This record gives sequence, C-alpha cells and structure tokens, in this order.
Amino acid sequence: MNAVSDSTITAVVENIDFKMVAFSLAGKDYSIDIMKVREISKANRFTYVPNSLPYVKGVYNLRGDIISIIDLRTMFNLPTVQSDRGQPDEIIILRLDDYLIGVIVDSIDKVVGISSQTIQPPHPIFGDINIKFIQGVVEKDERLYIILDVESIFGQEADVAPVVSAGYTAAERYTENKTEEFNMGFIAETLRTFSKYNVTDLNNRWVDKRFEEWKKIKGSSSEVLQLHSEADSAEFLSVFYSTDTGRFWSKEYRNVVSSLFDNSYGGTIRVWNPGCGKGYETYSIAALLSEEFSDASIKIWANDKDLMAISNAPNLVPDKQSLPEYMDKHIVAVNTRHQFNQKIKDIILFEYHDITHPNTFPEVDIIVARDVLSFLGYSDQLRMIAEFQEKLKPGGLLIIGENEELVSDDWKVIKSANNTAYRKKV
Amino acid sequence: MRVEYINPFVEAAFDILKEVLGDEVQRGELYLKSTSQAVMGVAAFVGLAGNVEGRVLFDMTMETAIAIASEMNDETLTTLDDLGKATITELANMITAQAVTKLHDLGFTFDLTPPAIFTGENMEITDNEVEALIVPVITKQGKIEINVAVRERT
Repeated sequence: MNAVSDSTITAVVENIDFKMVAFSLAGKDYSIDIMKVREISKANRFTYVPNSLPYVKGVYNLRGDIISIIDLRTMFNLPTVQSDRGQPDEIIILRLDDYLIGVIVDSIDKVVGISSQTIQPPHPIFGDINIKFIQGVVEKDERLYIILDVESIFGQEADVAPVVSAGYTAAERYTENKTEEFNMGFIAETLRTFSKYNVTDLNNRWVDKRFEEWKKIKGSSSEVLQLHSEADSAEFLSVFYSTDTGRFWSKEYRNVVSSLFDNSYGGTIRVWNPGCGKGYETYSIAALLSEEFSDASIKIWANDKDLMAISNAPNLVPDKQSLPEYMDKHIVAVNTRHQFNQKIKDIILFEYHDITHPNTFPEVDIIVARDVLSFLGYSDQLRMIAEFQEKLKPGGLLIIGENEELVSDDWKVIKSANNTAYRKKV
Repeated sequence: MRVEYINPFVEAAFDILKEVLGDEVQRGELYLKSTSQAVMGVAAFVGLAGNVEGRVLFDMTMETAIAIASEMNDETLTTLDDLGKATITELANMITAQAVTKLHDLGFTFDLTPPAIFTGENMEITDNEVEALIVPVITKQGKIEINVAVRERT
C-alpha cells in the first residue's frame, strides 16, 4: 500500500490541474478531490453512537477533534465484509465546509493527478451509486476512476437526517426556552393529529409566525395556547390556506396567476392539479388557460384522495353568486341548471387517486399543488417534491401554497404576490 | 381512477348481488390501494380494454364462494366444483358487464375479456403501476372485495 506515492504526483502529464485521492471500494476504483481531503488515517474501535443511522460507524477522537466516521460500503449499499479484528480501517478524513468527517474505505491507493478537462460526466447507467453523488469519471493509466462528489453525498446527509425525526423539526428548534419548546411541540403534534397537518421545513416559517399571532390572540399560558380539538386546530390553520381556496378564483387572483405563465408552451399544455378537492381550483385553471392559450390543446389531470369531495367535481354546478363574472362565458344552461361547457369539461380529467401512489401520466408543463404538501407526512413531502421535479418539463411552473416554501436549490423562485411559485431549472 | 367510473361499478355490484342473492347487501368504505395485496382464496378476474386498460378482480374466501354459488344454484355445494366455479365466473361477468353497459351510456367504451377464476391459498396480486379502487361488499354469505384497477390510455 503506497498511501501517498510521490512518483505518481510527479508523473509528467500535460496540464495536471486536478489531483485526487484514489481508493478502492468493493473492487472498484473511486477517487475524491484532494482539496477536500484533510488527511489519511488508520484507526479502529470507534465509539458507537446509539440510534444513529446505519452507515454511521461511530465517532472518533482525532487529536482532540471529535469526528463522525461513515462506512462508505454501508452508505452505498454495497455488501459489507467482516473486517479482521484488530486490523485498523483505512480512513479518509474529509474537510467539508466547517466540519470534518471520516469515511472508511477498503484501501487507499494513491494520489492521482489528471487534467480536469479529461473528466467525463457520469453516465446514467452506473448502477451501484446514485448518479447524484458522482462528479465524473476519468481514465488514467488504463484505470477508470469514479470521482465522488463529497459535497453532495454528505451535504445530502443533512437533508436526509430529519426523516428520522419526521415532523418534529419545529419542536426541536425551540431549545432555548423550555415552555416555548413544549408549547410549539405540542401544537405541531396536535396539528398532525387533528388536521393531518405536518410542520416541516415546508411551512415552519408560517407556523412560527402564526404561533406568535396565536399567543397574542389567546394569551400566553400553556393551557389556552394548546389545541384541544379539531375545531381549535382548524382555527389555527384558518389563515393558512391560499387565496381563493375552495372557491372560483377571483379576477384579481386569476390575473396574478396568469402573469406567472411564460409564453413558450407548444401546441399542448399539460397540467397536474393534485389535491383538487371539489374542483373549483381546477375549473379556474381550465378557464384561465383556455382564455390565455385558445389555440393550444390543454389537458388537466386533477386528483384527490377524498372521494366525497371529488365525486361531484366532474358535474360541478356553479352557484351563480359565487361565480366570478369573467367565467360566465364558459357556462351553459342544461335544463334549468348551469354547467361548464363541454370544452372546459373535456380539458379536465378528475381522478380519485392518492398521489403518493404511482402517478402514471406523462410530463407536465404546470403543477398547481396549493396547500397539498403540508398535509402529507414528512417523507411523503420529500418524495412528492422529488416527483414534482421529475414530472415537470424543464422550465415548467410549480405553484404551491402561499404559506409554503421549498428549501432547495433545484428550483428558481418566481416573485409574485399571493403565490409561492417556482420554475424548474433548465 | 377517473371519478366517472366509480359509481357504475359500485351500482352494478349492488344491483346484481342483491338480485342473485335475493337479500340486502351492505357497502364498506371505498378506498385506494397501490401495493400488492393478498387474495383471500377465490379470485374472479375480468380484463378491460378500449379507451382504458385495466381489470376487475372479485376477491372472496373459499367459504364465501361456496355459499354464494350454493345460493345462486339453489342447492347446497360442499366444494367449489366446476359448477361452483362457473357460477362465480358468471357473477363476475354479470357485474362487470352491467358496469360497462352503464359506462357505455355515459360515453365511455370498454370491451371485456372472458372472465377467469383463480383459486388457491396464499396468493397475492401485484400490479405496481396501477392503483386499485377497492369496493368491499358485505353479503350474508360473506365479504366480497371488488378490486377495480383501470387507467386511461395516454
């Protein structure tokens, strides 16, 4: 084992501008950018940390710094080998933003210098490891090295970790003040029980704000602050819902949404409207799109898992009083009742469907999911956000609830009044 | 599943079962399911094609199947013999056909495949890509779960 061999570093290749530490894992060659590596070490007998993620081997005292040790084999779901007792593990100590982390690998090979121009992008068929974690592939001396993107691997870890404490994130943030922590944790808990509302990164800014308001309205003693019933919980959430929820969109709101569209749609516009409820929102979208893009062929998939709500949606009878004037032109009288005309009806496909089950329709241009994600469990929220990302065409528009936000770099925020809207990065 | 499809299936199941069993039947709560599910013992299967693709599955225990077949034939069967199997198959056919007729009146055209019947212990049915609507029907003879998985052709 020539841990750091001078001969390879000095091997004369033109434009060596990228050096990486090569190591092997389950018989394959991998490497990590040397700038991320602080040192290489051998150790064993780590201090086991109870209840940690399976790939966390434990913590290790590196000359006074306590660092976490990650087993890369376990993390990448590669078969684990029983290491010889007493034989120290090979560890690469990585320097990430502001902390150190140790990863156990099979064996550390050497430092390889290459030209960064020869790094090729990862190919989607690499099986063992998620492609997101691969920075690229490079060939050197007839060996292929997979360069791991350690930032995204261990940055990812921070995102994944809260799954363990799903839904408790808000409660955990209140650590300075015990009573506050208790109250907020209790509120998060009761919102989930009574209203299936999950306090997570998606909405905790709003929940914090609402909690402050709530204290002003109710007074600050724990007893009155708590939500004792479904009615209390509904009252707490009463101001959560986005503009024009459960009714047809007003002219003003219609125009706000209209301004979010870009005009790059081709001949067809496909829309996904999960959590459409009774269908008011869906008809509003259908009316809006058919006015703005009269030549396009428009298709809206509207789903809800509440059978009672959605069952009347296909034949919704709009109440003349609640119907904004601009929608009049889409209404026809059938016998004595008013209905949407066939053109609007043909645009929409209402489905009794649970969006956490497989969604089988093709890619869409627009997703309108206002106040839907907050009512899913934390892991379902993450899964749906990933699914939105996957289902949207590049540049596609995502509208979520006014009081919800996505904490992710994958989306470009569109500034707009009364809306939280994003565009999928191209 | 498209909302318009739900009622025809539920209504057809009720009408037919009430008629052939000559007794009241009750409905359980409808729900959706996407993962694989255990089959109780006897499963009659009808495929759907046309504007949609999918299938309808009638799932019940062996005892229920024998009791229903006995009632429909007005004699006491002790095993699910050929007559019994043919009876359950016919029941599946009648319900699906009536649902499809109702749907036809609403403007949706489907075709059905000839029904088939599966019997056995510890069976499981899996179709990952399609979500199934479960319509539980409770009869005096036992519970029948009607499992409708239909999706639009896109």
